Amino acid sequence: MKNALRSLFLILSLVLVSSAFSQAPVKGGTLTVCQPAEPPGLDPTTHTAAAIDRVVYANIYEGLVKVDSGGGFLPGLANGWNISADGLVYTFNLRKGVRFHNGEAFDAAVAKWNLERAALPENGNPHPEYFNGIETIETPDSHTLTIRLKSVDALFIAHMAEGDAVMRPMKGDADAKSNPIGTGPFKFVKWVRGDRVEMARFDGYWNPFLPYLDRVVFRFISDPAAQIAALKAGDIDVIGSVAAPESAMMLEKDRRFKVYAGTTTGEVIMSTNNQAAPFDNRLVRQAMAHAIDRQAVIDLVMFGYGTPIGSHWSPSTPYYEDLTGRFPYNPDKARALLKEAGYPNGFKATIKLPAIYSYSRRAGEVIADMLTKVGIDLTIEIIEWGQWIDRIFKKKEYQLTMIGHVEAWDIGIYAKPDYYFQYDSQAFRDAYAKALKAPDEAAKAKWFGRCQEIIADDAVNGFLFSAPSLPVMKANVMGWWENYPTIALDCTAVWWKQ
Amino acid sequence: MTNYLIKKMVSLAAVLFLVSLTVFSVLFVLPGDPAQIILGINASPETLAALRVRLGLDQPFWAQYGSWIGSLLQGTGGHSITYDMAVFELIGSRLAVTGPLALMAMAIAVVLALPLGVFAARHQNRPADAAVMAGTQLGLAVPEFWLGILLMLLFSVHWGIFSAGGFPGWDEDVWGSLKALFLPALALGLIRTAILTRLTRSSMLEVLREDYVRTARAKGLKERTVVYGHALKNALIPVLTIFGLQMGQLLAGAIIIENVFSLPGLGRLVFQAIGQRDLPVVREVVLFMAAAIVVVNFLVDLSYAAVDPRIRLDGQ
Repeated sequence: MKNALRSLFLILSLVLVSSAFSQAPVKGGTLTVCQPAEPPGLDPTTHTAAAIDRVVYANIYEGLVKVDSGGGFLPGLANGWNISADGLVYTFNLRKGVRFHNGEAFDAAVAKWNLERAALPENGNPHPEYFNGIETIETPDSHTLTIRLKSVDALFIAHMAEGDAVMRPMKGDADAKSNPIGTGPFKFVKWVRGDRVEMARFDGYWNPFLPYLDRVVFRFISDPAAQIAALKAGDIDVIGSVAAPESAMMLEKDRRFKVYAGTTTGEVIMSTNNQAAPFDNRLVRQAMAHAIDRQAVIDLVMFGYGTPIGSHWSPSTPYYEDLTGRFPYNPDKARALLKEAGYPNGFKATIKLPAIYSYSRRAGEVIADMLTKVGIDLTIEIIEWGQWIDRIFKKKEYQLTMIGHVEAWDIGIYAKPDYYFQYDSQAFRDAYAKALKAPDEAAKAKWFGRCQEIIADDAVNGFLFSAPSLPVMKANVMGWWENYPTIALDCTAVWWKQ
Repeated sequence: MTNYLIKKMVSLAAVLFLVSLTVFSVLFVLPGDPAQIILGINASPETLAALRVRLGLDQPFWAQYGSWIGSLLQGTGGHSITYDMAVFELIGSRLAVTGPLALMAMAIAVVLALPLGVFAARHQNRPADAAVMAGTQLGLAVPEFWLGILLMLLFSVHWGIFSAGGFPGWDEDVWGSLKALFLPALALGLIRTAILTRLTRSSMLEVLREDYVRTARAKGLKERTVVYGHALKNALIPVLTIFGLQMGQLLAGAIIIENVFSLPGLGRLVFQAIGQRDLPVVREVVLFMAAAIVVVNFLVDLSYAAVDPRIRLDGQ
């Protein structure tokens, strides 16, 4: 009730503010969005590629729960939900009158079918573990869904808001990879492979006020210079996320465009093999944490865009704790810790950087330079992505590497000793298990916070920065998200200022 | 002629067989589990295993190779994992971009290079020749992607005459599609102009010193007829060879220029497919490229005979 009152108040004040100071949203128009990577298929339930979610999530497909631009959870295809006192039973009240783009009705039976098929690995969902904690799904009436879990899962709602949990129609779903049919504000028109995906307003959308735009076109332009040229030439209206931060800086000075430097779910980290000497020594890892000047890394690599982090948790995800003060930049302290660890003269090590990510290559060079100052001599090796997957991720043949982890709520990877960090901590596993079983918000905040602290104190990896969102758009594009708390380029409420 | 054709067909088949075996083996031993690259690093092991079975990655080498060759011989070919369509169909739609792009680029190159080369040869060691040579030197030194971006900045951003990349599609907008190909074709064409101009010039210089050219001049023929009617035709053989090689290369995909201009051509297709480990696409596109180069070279062989009747293809 308190929550409802608060949101009512928020909505009212938003309406007042927006009507007083700005123009009301206008309907109509086409928005052309540049997305660097072409998605490998258009089905977010059979692939983890972020490019798929960026095109289809919240635009074509929706789930029971939606992530709002602030990172909170909003009703999606469910009007709301109740959680039983023991945290095991979720009752979703589904929205009435929702139809798929092909005319099929969305109801409890469809939702049940979707969740059950997602739990079976043979259907290709990369994260069946999100769903196989479900014990039973009941449909007491056509618009009520009662889900009983085998055990408490604090991330259940978060997972229901992911692209893996979007709702697809039971019929006409065979070619979802190339002809997606969802309930979203835009319906799929066509995919010109190699060039663009086009979608048009869905007139039967359950929210009669949305969307504002008539058409949305996602164009695939991978070359950073070509993206900027296309924006300046007027061929595209928005670049979802600028690949080269230096060009964002340039465009910020141009009055025809605007740049948002918001947050994302991604953490850029210097991944460390916790079983490879000398990095199996906690003191060595802590020394490195002191030797890295995070703000300087952000300035040099990202031209100042990005937020320093002290653990594997992005500021845009709920329960964030700012732990950047744990290991402040202090080369003297770093040298002292190295001496204590038995390396008074430092040591030599190798960092392997994946060639496809320019931020990773740049950050590797900057950090190699910083570590030289405390006596750690890094050799840089650039490797192809397939090699990275094979040698580093699978075979763990590495000491250090540099990569962005883009999924939200992914701190659970530290509970797996065979994950490529090879971090083995019973204390962390206990804390994470408690977090997952946390019955209420206070307990979630406490235990997810504890998880962040443990890996920060152990300096498991070099926690560097949360990647900036960096969308760039024409000045009269309104309603674009400033922060990206989920992997999506949501055009539902975007409109053109006249 | 028939003998010659049969010989060519046999060598084409042999080349294709070797290329198929090579590309298959290379992709087979390439590090990185395709299923993992496709599904991402945090995918669950059960889904990975299911995908490996679906893609046939759990089969031994010869079984996988055999089933691929079988599908090619049946004329069905593979199915793209990322694009969810038949690879043959995909190659067809990409060729509709790369083919015209290559033709346009080579047309620009030939139209500019032949007159420039002849002009430079006739003004050998004079300022005009030096200017042309300096221009071609520049053309050889400039990287393709840089020229592409420069043209884009000038024609799209500054003057707004052309769009900065992208391709509307032939079925939607023929004129727009032609326009979309012009800048990339110019970038490719200008660089090939430099190569062909230098070649035409040196080849012309050699021919202009031949006895029959002197005879033609002595007969009192007009200079135009001597140069274009007698000399150029004979100077064309080396030019044709390089033309063929360049054409083959362009058909095999101008990867960099297609990326800069975001064109849905063959080069960008294979580039993306390697990154995404869309193995059926990589295999069949590479095979197609090899075939394209062999066929273009064959056509060049035929054209030698057309240019110089003394050349007989069946060796009689």
